[in-house]
Amino acid sequence: MPGVWVIAENSNYTLELLSKGLEIANELNEKLVAFSFGNEELANDYISCGADEVFVLPALNRELPFEAYVPLIVAEAKKEMPEAIIVCATQRGTELASRVAAGLNTGLATGCISVRVDKGNLVMERLVFGGAAVQTVICTTRPQMAAIPPGTYEKAQPREDRRGQIKVVAGNVETKVKVVERRKKEQEEIDLTEAKIIVSVGRGFEKQEDISLARELARLLGGEVGCTRPIAEELHWLPEERYMGISGKKVKPDLYIGLGVSGQVQHVTGIRDAKIIMAVNTDENAPIFDAADYGIVGNLYDVVPKLMTEIKAALNK
Amino acid sequence: MLKIIVCFKWVIDEADIKVSGKSRELDLSRVAYKISDYDRNAIEEAVRLQEQLGGSVVAVTVGPPTAKQSLKDALSRGPEKAVFVSDPAFDSLEPAQTAAILAEVITKNLEYDLIICGEGSSDLYAQQVGPRLAEKLGIPCATYVEKIIIKDKELIAERKMRDGIEVVSMPLPALVTVMPTINTPRIPSLKQVLGAAKKPVVNLSAKDLEGKYEPCLKTTSLLAATMERKRIKFTDDPQDIRKVVDALLKEGVIS
Repeated sequence: MPGVWVIAENSNYTLELLSKGLEIANELNEKLVAFSFGNEELANDYISCGADEVFVLPALNRELPFEAYVPLIVAEAKKEMPEAIIVCATQRGTELASRVAAGLNTGLATGCISVRVDKGNLVMERLVFGGAAVQTVICTTRPQMAAIPPGTYEKAQPREDRRGQIKVVAGNVETKVKVVERRKKEQEEIDLTEAKIIVSVGRGFEKQEDISLARELARLLGGEVGCTRPIAEELHWLPEERYMGISGKKVKPDLYIGLGVSGQVQHVTGIRDAKIIMAVNTDENAPIFDAADYGIVGNLYDVVPKLMTEIKAALNK
Repeated sequence: MLKIIVCFKWVIDEADIKVSGKSRELDLSRVAYKISDYDRNAIEEAVRLQEQLGGSVVAVTVGPPTAKQSLKDALSRGPEKAVFVSDPAFDSLEPAQTAAILAEVITKNLEYDLIICGEGSSDLYAQQVGPRLAEKLGIPCATYVEKIIIKDKELIAERKMRDGIEVVSMPLPALVTVMPTINTPRIPSLKQVLGAAKKPVVNLSAKDLEGKYEPCLKTTSLLAATMERKRIKFTDDPQDIRKVVDALLKEGVIS
């Protein structure tokens, strides 16, 4: 029986894919197979969370990156011919999925925002053109492959009564790529994706010091400060963890306030799930106004102080 | 001497895409084209490495005949030669096809120590061509690279991962995909733009390829990503600003 495979670089992400994998495997009438990397104990967790079978691959030497598993996974897939392979689209996962797909001469949709089954096919939706459009694709070759970002699904819940098999896959993990150093990033104190209110800094700010204006507004509302990509990556005025967009943070606050944000599609894609979007911009034709519920046409240096006065009056602060 | 191949894609400028009315259909009638954003970083990095270490840079692209316009742009950025693989059927290639075509063309026509690709294209952003190409060529690869060091026949690459930097080493030949943070692409000078027209271009077509590169994916729909928003505009007049604050209160998003 070919099966639906789920592959992720850690156990949390594997559990997320198992919850979706269960649904897909049921609809395709296939067994669900999870992968555990060098950890047989996790295999039992995966079984209680829905896997019919768990392939346990050898542990990695510390000097090898996760992507080193590609040849083993390709070899195993050629033997088992799975119907579908779902990979967690972390950066490593996306590379691994692409190389596995190349090794198997099959199609892969990366960065899927949704996946469902129709007539035996995975129907996969993904954003294209910087987030301006949604492309729906199906894969005409087998295995059909999808890479889905972490955090898309809730983790699967364990059930006592589930039984499954564990298969230890022997083999050498070999690669010419060696890790010579890992430098952990200092953790940002805040997680923008959890913020209820975000005040976003755009290119309309003239100097780095002026960001204090955004901070004051954020403090007044009990929110956080975020920004567009150029502010973080080109000007380095704020840490990279604070930029929102298709390649940055995807946020879902109750209220997003864009200050001097022009509204390029790549940025708007990161804020689409905000409940309310408000924007301040001098250019009345700025694209941000098409993406906003409430827009104020004006200079942020003039509008923000007025806005704060009105908010203080309204909230009796 | 380092032989570098840089791959690039000629894409629709997404800022020009309009949506036709309520149908969510994309209006591509007035779009301009450009070299995909991160591929400009890839070209810049290839040229910088060549300036440092000597050697050569060849730019390769696969696309429809209309992508011919891209060659002058690419060559004005520093590569000394371009390879243009084109066919009318190549106007909507998927990553698997592009990577397989590149692999055949490179294997048959070009020597290389290093191949540089952008991390993903600005149109499809599938992030597949680089790693697929490495796999097809059987060479090691590093994705999401923001620093490259070459020592003898070894490549050291700093990968920018979500949780920090991972430094990897591998023997050449190898492939890297680069992040936009790796460099700031130069604006070509007038002299470079004029000089680009004189640089050699190797033209190849589907007839020159042995492989039949069939698609693996089928696009069943392509529609604008719409957002339901109120789109109410106000002036910067204090009374108008008060209306906005009242609206936010009513929405229950501030308290």
